[in-house]
Amino acid sequence: MTQGLHTPKLSVVILFLSIFTIFGLQAPAKAQDGQVLVEAAFNYLRDKASVSLVKMTVHRPDWQRVVTIKAWTLGEKESLFTIIAPPKDNGNGTLKKGREMWMYNPKVNRVIKLPPSMMSQSWMGSDFSNNDLAKSDNLINEYTHAVTGTETHEGKTVYIIESIPKPKAPEVWGMQRLKIREDNIFLEQAFYDEDLKLVKILNFMEIQTMDGKLYPKKWIMQKADEKGKYTIVEHKMITFKESLPAGFFTLSNLKNPRR
Amino acid sequence: MYFKLAWRNIWRNPRRTAVILLAVVIGVWNMIFAGALMRGVEVGMIKNSIATLTGNIQIHRKGYRHDPVVENSITDPKEVEAAFEKILPPNAIWTSRVRVNAVASNARHSSGITLVGIHPAREAGVSFIGQAINQGRYLVPDDTYGIVIGRALLDRFETKIGHKLVLMSPTPDRDIASRAFRIVGTFRAEMQSTEKRFAFVTMPAAQQMLQLKNSVSEFSIVLPNSLDNSRLASALQSVLPSNYYEISTWRDLLPMLDAYLKLSDGFIYIWFVVIFIAMGFGIVNTTLMAVFERMREFGLLKALGMKPFWIIREVLTEAFLILLLGMAVGNILGFVSVLALSERGIDLSALAAGTEFAGMSRMLYPVIYAKDAITANLVVFVLGLLVCLYPAIKAARFTPVEALTQT
Repeated sequence: MTQGLHTPKLSVVILFLSIFTIFGLQAPAKAQDGQVLVEAAFNYLRDKASVSLVKMTVHRPDWQRVVTIKAWTLGEKESLFTIIAPPKDNGNGTLKKGREMWMYNPKVNRVIKLPPSMMSQSWMGSDFSNNDLAKSDNLINEYTHAVTGTETHEGKTVYIIESIPKPKAPEVWGMQRLKIREDNIFLEQAFYDEDLKLVKILNFMEIQTMDGKLYPKKWIMQKADEKGKYTIVEHKMITFKESLPAGFFTLSNLKNPRR
Repeated sequence: MYFKLAWRNIWRNPRRTAVILLAVVIGVWNMIFAGALMRGVEVGMIKNSIATLTGNIQIHRKGYRHDPVVENSITDPKEVEAAFEKILPPNAIWTSRVRVNAVASNARHSSGITLVGIHPAREAGVSFIGQAINQGRYLVPDDTYGIVIGRALLDRFETKIGHKLVLMSPTPDRDIASRAFRIVGTFRAEMQSTEKRFAFVTMPAAQQMLQLKNSVSEFSIVLPNSLDNSRLASALQSVLPSNYYEISTWRDLLPMLDAYLKLSDGFIYIWFVVIFIAMGFGIVNTTLMAVFERMREFGLLKALGMKPFWIIREVLTEAFLILLLGMAVGNILGFVSVLALSERGIDLSALAAGTEFAGMSRMLYPVIYAKDAITANLVVFVLGLLVCLYPAIKAARFTPVEALTQT
């Protein structure tokens, strides 16, 4: 009797094992090109174009600020952000085209182009720097990516990728460690300095269906050595589009964004 | 006759004479020594400032000094170099540089700096950087990605030699140029602010990064042992078109220092007078005492038919001899003490924070200027005699009758 029960169990185990082996063999074959993985994940996150409503919480040990931002993006180069709440900050905007950024402040009715000196400063007081926004596509062009391991997340394979900047790339990081799920979803982006000590980490959480595709609803950026300081970006609404009208990402739209 | 009499009179009361002499000696010594210290500070400041990428004369494109951006670069450095060939004296050394404001950043820090593109070999002769490397190495001509930064900046950025530093700066077409450099060495400077401010890369690296082609920001000329450069500056002015080039001497480039030097001149002389006033009271007081003590003597002399003017002359001759003696000793003391200190200098590192605020260098080497020494001696001599006039006149006014009633 015991023998009889064992046999089907064993066959199931063998079946599972063989499935895993197939997947296991497949996975490295697919993962060999870190570059492809990163580009795919990046494009998945940015999509062709998007319009979103985002709640950004900047948390500090003794205070917290919440702003609501409307964001438009087109590809990896162009984006436009404008604050719609709280009323005090209403109308403050940021326009990014390629590597350049402009900021608009309605109170003084001035558009300023961000000079190099401001690029490494924080964006709107958050834990994101202006460079994080302006140079986000550097991750694709200026780094070499190597898959160093895998883990699982919600039953799916996650590739751990170590991205090292190319020798002459104007990048401050010594390394970035990315976690990308097999369905092209970013789970984690960790920034290391040249001694490979963690500087800050961006976690993508609450993956759920938004406008028809799985998307990380909540992003948390945290400095490694400063506990209690973090920034949460929470997508309230996002719509993916094929494209946005040409000439949308202009200085005049920065001043008077369409609602 | 007067001299003999005066000389003997001086030593009639050696203790009193010694007191006046001491006052004069200390006064003169102080004037010489304090003057030398102040001049030492000045010389240190001038040397320091000229070596900190200033030079005796600089040439910029017009407008650069008001707005030091890449657009205001000299696009044809050959023209300036040709002018140098013709005009510069053989002992002059010069170099050209690219100098722009930039932002340096690494993973944790970022800070505004001045990016300086240099010809490593030429620059070493012109500015402090040649002797200032304290760790790692200096730049070599084909260092296209090497950068030398100050020790203080290195510490502030929590980085080390061999690590990367990303520099960002606007290009002539208003783009943002960024380039990653590797730290190859660090330098030490007299002032921490210099260490935090300047980052050196090679000229080709800077020109390539900023898309400058052959343009340079400035030419710097150093003329050893010469501080008055206005004649050479105007000679250069006559050769180079004045609607394009601006030629400045270090006095134009460092107006604060120039003003300080002028102020300091006045201050030294005021100081001399202050010391003299303190000293003068001592002299007058003691001489007056001597005169009153010798009332009977002066009465007798008058009774014998000595004219008041002769008595004045007599007292003044005594003062003259004492002053001369005191000045001689004071000068010798002053020169010896300055000489002893100028060899090794005075180390002010313990007060570094304060000296730095004042823009002084860490080592102070006292220097005697001939004009200061002469002024000091003149002040003591002329004013010394002048104040002794009062006791002298007092002495001349004694009548024999008055002197007799005095016991």
